[in-house]
This record gives sequence, C-alpha cells and structure tokens, in this order.
Amino acid sequence: MRATLASMPSDGDFLKLLPQHPLARVASQGKALEEQQRLEATTVLAFHYRHGVLMAGDHRATADNIIYSDHVEKILPLDGESLMAIAGSPAVAMEMARALGTSFEFYRRSQLQTMSLRAKTRALSQLLKENLPMVMQGVGTVVPIFAGLDQNGGEPRPAIYFYDPLGAQFETANFAASGSGSLHVKSILGYLDQWGTPRPTKLDLKQAVMLALRLLTTAAQFDSATGGVDPAAGRYASVYSLDSSGVRKITATEQAGWWQKAATT
Amino acid sequence: MSELFQWLEAIRDRGEYVRDELSQATPVFALSRPEGILLVGIGLGQSKVFEIYDRHALAALGNPVDIEQIRQTAIEAAHLEGFNRSPEDVTLRRLMSYSLSPALKNSFESVMEPPLIVSGVFAEVGETQEEDVIMEFTYDGHFSVETEGLAVVSANEAAATQAKRWLRDRIRPHGNRKRIIGLILAMWEAMSHGQRIGGSIKPIPPEEFELEGRVIEMALLERRTKDRVKYKPLAVDY
Repeated sequence: MRATLASMPSDGDFLKLLPQHPLARVASQGKALEEQQRLEATTVLAFHYRHGVLMAGDHRATADNIIYSDHVEKILPLDGESLMAIAGSPAVAMEMARALGTSFEFYRRSQLQTMSLRAKTRALSQLLKENLPMVMQGVGTVVPIFAGLDQNGGEPRPAIYFYDPLGAQFETANFAASGSGSLHVKSILGYLDQWGTPRPTKLDLKQAVMLALRLLTTAAQFDSATGGVDPAAGRYASVYSLDSSGVRKITATEQAGWWQKAATT
Repeated sequence: MSELFQWLEAIRDRGEYVRDELSQATPVFALSRPEGILLVGIGLGQSKVFEIYDRHALAALGNPVDIEQIRQTAIEAAHLEGFNRSPEDVTLRRLMSYSLSPALKNSFESVMEPPLIVSGVFAEVGETQEEDVIMEFTYDGHFSVETEGLAVVSANEAAATQAKRWLRDRIRPHGNRKRIIGLILAMWEAMSHGQRIGGSIKPIPPEEFELEGRVIEMALLERRTKDRVKYKPLAVDY
C-alpha cells in the first residue's frame, strides 16, 4: 500500500493503474515451457433460456493425456452482472478473469456508474489481444465465452459473446460453446435451436440446467478431456444463470435435486 | 529556528482554516448493528456515503473535491491490495495506517499546497458485530477506532460527543431500523442548526424529514449476505 493521494482525475481504468504498483515478483527459475506439462481446461457452454442466459462447464483440467483435476471452476462470475467461461490455459484465463472482475468493480466504485456491456466485452477483447505473443508460442491460448447484461435502455438484456484467441468478439444469437468438447455441444444445441420441442430459448431455469448437464454428459462420452457430470459420485457441473436481476449460482445440491427428480419421472 | 516557528505557525493557521471551512459541513453517522453497519449522511446524492471495497464503506463531510480525493485514494489502495494479494487482505486498519492516514498527514503538512478539507468515517463489516471496525479520521491524518460501534463526525467535536451520547442512550441493540434512522435524522437536524442537544429533541421519521432539495444518503454493509459485495444502498423510506 502507498502513502500518496490518488492521482486525480481518475478515469476508472484499473488495468492502467496496476502496472504502477506491482508486488515484487520472483523471477522464474523453472524448466523451459516446452518441457512442462501444459494444463488445459475443457468444455464450457452458454445458451439463452426463457429468463436469461445459462452458462455451464465441467470441472476437468487436463495436461496432454493426464487428467490433472476434476475440481476446476471454469465459470467465473466477474461482477454481479457478468460471467466468463474459460477454455484453454487456466493460468492465463483465471488471471484474465481476476483482472476483469477487479477492473469492472474498480470502475463501478470509482466512477459511481456501471461499466457498459460494450466496454466490458472490449476489455476482454483487449486482454486476449495482449496475450497474442503467448498464443504465437503455442502456450496460454484462451478461448472464452462472456455473458453480460446490456443496460442500454429499458429492461436489462442478457447477452452472450464468444471470442477467438486473438480477441475478435461476436455476439451470439442463441448459444456458444468452447473447449475440446464444444463441437458435440454445438451440434446438439444447433439441432435443438432449430427443431427442439421445446427450443432451449423456451426452457425454464430447471429445464435449462438439466439440458446443460446432459450436454456436458454427452460431450464427455465423445471427448476424453471433458469430465461431464457423475451423479453417482456426487459430482455435478459449474452452472450459473444470468437474468435481468444479475448472476445466480446453481449449487450442486440444486442440480442433484433436479437431476434425481428428472431420473424418477 | 525562525523557519521552524514559521512552519508551526503555518500548520496552526491551516488547522484553523480547515476547521472553519468544515464548520459549514453537515455531520455523517456510522452505526454497527446486528444486520451490518449503517452509514447515513445528507447530501446531493452520491456525495456523502460511498462504497469503497467488498466489505468497506466511507461517509465523509467537507469539500466535494477533497472527499473525492480521499475516496479515490481508498478505492485505489483497496483494489490494488485485493488484486495483488486477496480481498481478505484488504483490512481497514492497514488501509488507514499505511495508506490514508500518511497521505492525509503529508498533505496537511505540505504548507505550500492547499489543505484537504475533509473528515469522515470508514467502516468494515465483520462476520460478527464484535469484528466490525469503524474508524473516524480527520483532515490532518489523525484517526481513531470507535470501540462502541457508533461514529458521529462533525467539525464541532463537542456537538458530536453530545450527539453520540444522546444516540447511545436511545438506540437499543435490536431496535427497529426505521426508528434508529429517525433518531439519527433528529441529531442531524439539531447539529446542522446548532440546536442544544437535550431530552426535548424527538426522532424525525424519514418521511417527515424536510429535505430542501437534498437526499438522505444511506447504505448498509450487510453482514449476512452471501454476496461478495456487502454494500447495499438503502431506500429513503426504510
């Protein structure tokens, strides 16, 4: 902490402030990156349901053919009204999420207004662009999905954005998926979006959560890097909803209750 | 020798000037309650009571530009600490001791620079009421921990002490919040108009409070919420 007054006027840009006040770092003495195992986080997805956006991901992180962990949180709430799903390098993605979450809150508190959705999506885009040298070296690639509330006029509107590793951003009409199992998820969601009865956009929260769990289970059947869900072992997914009132976590207990109810009916 | 004397003289004059300027400002209040820490001020909307960090808030009086300076300093220090270490490492004692208080003291003693005209109270909500931290601070970097969970900050220290005693005698630990706000508004009214603080003063229900173009700014640092962010602005009719 420092003993000087804030530099006025503050424009609320935390990422500009951060490099001026780093903690002392210890230089890496590790092996060359090529020799190290590279951790990857796998399947995440987001789709519109009746009341907003549902975002879900399994808990698996892999390094080549090794399952590194089955307890990784890949859906990260950035602030009270935005979510980021991470696929790719967790080391980079989690730092991106932390930087974004802090910068959104910093802006809101210092400027006494919420950062617009467009500014938030651009901030993520900028971080991805800055990560380009890492991507070029073949490490630290991140392909996130972002969900936020568009407050621009009228009722807040939940929106989903997906990105390429270079930072190009696209708003998706109804769904997005990222990570190694995303092809399977996208195929199913693409089908349901056209011919589903009901379509995902018509589902209530409980039905949407069930769909997300089944999508992850299916992805796990075809993609060894996706953990899926394992109700027998009490392992469910990271699931969050975003509606006009903000972010809500769907706990493992809620998921278990709905899963068991669906199994018995 | 004479330079030292001139410096001391300048510091004394500055203190007098700041206190004189602050005497125009109206008081702010912070109160530890079972449900959290209540902060109250009356201003123009987002001008007296502010969110600082996940568990931290500020209520201040003085020149709006100087309040802003302190607010930004606290927000910057808290967010840098929270990012570089973790949100749990952001504590009011460290913010005050290592960041805000030295900055205020430096500013006050830099006699060639204009002084900051600001006083106020910072609050940090804990898991239990015993863990709440309420700290008053003044323009010269002086700060004190409120051990009884109630802060009344005003340029008129004698009136603030009387108001604190008056409130403490009437606020019950589990009393109704609306009634407590009525008591605080009564003290605000009495202190702002230089009335004698005594037994004849009655609580003013928020809906009967004469605003004269101002806003009752209230917030609660909510203890029991599961949200990471504890700061909740309170509606006037609460």
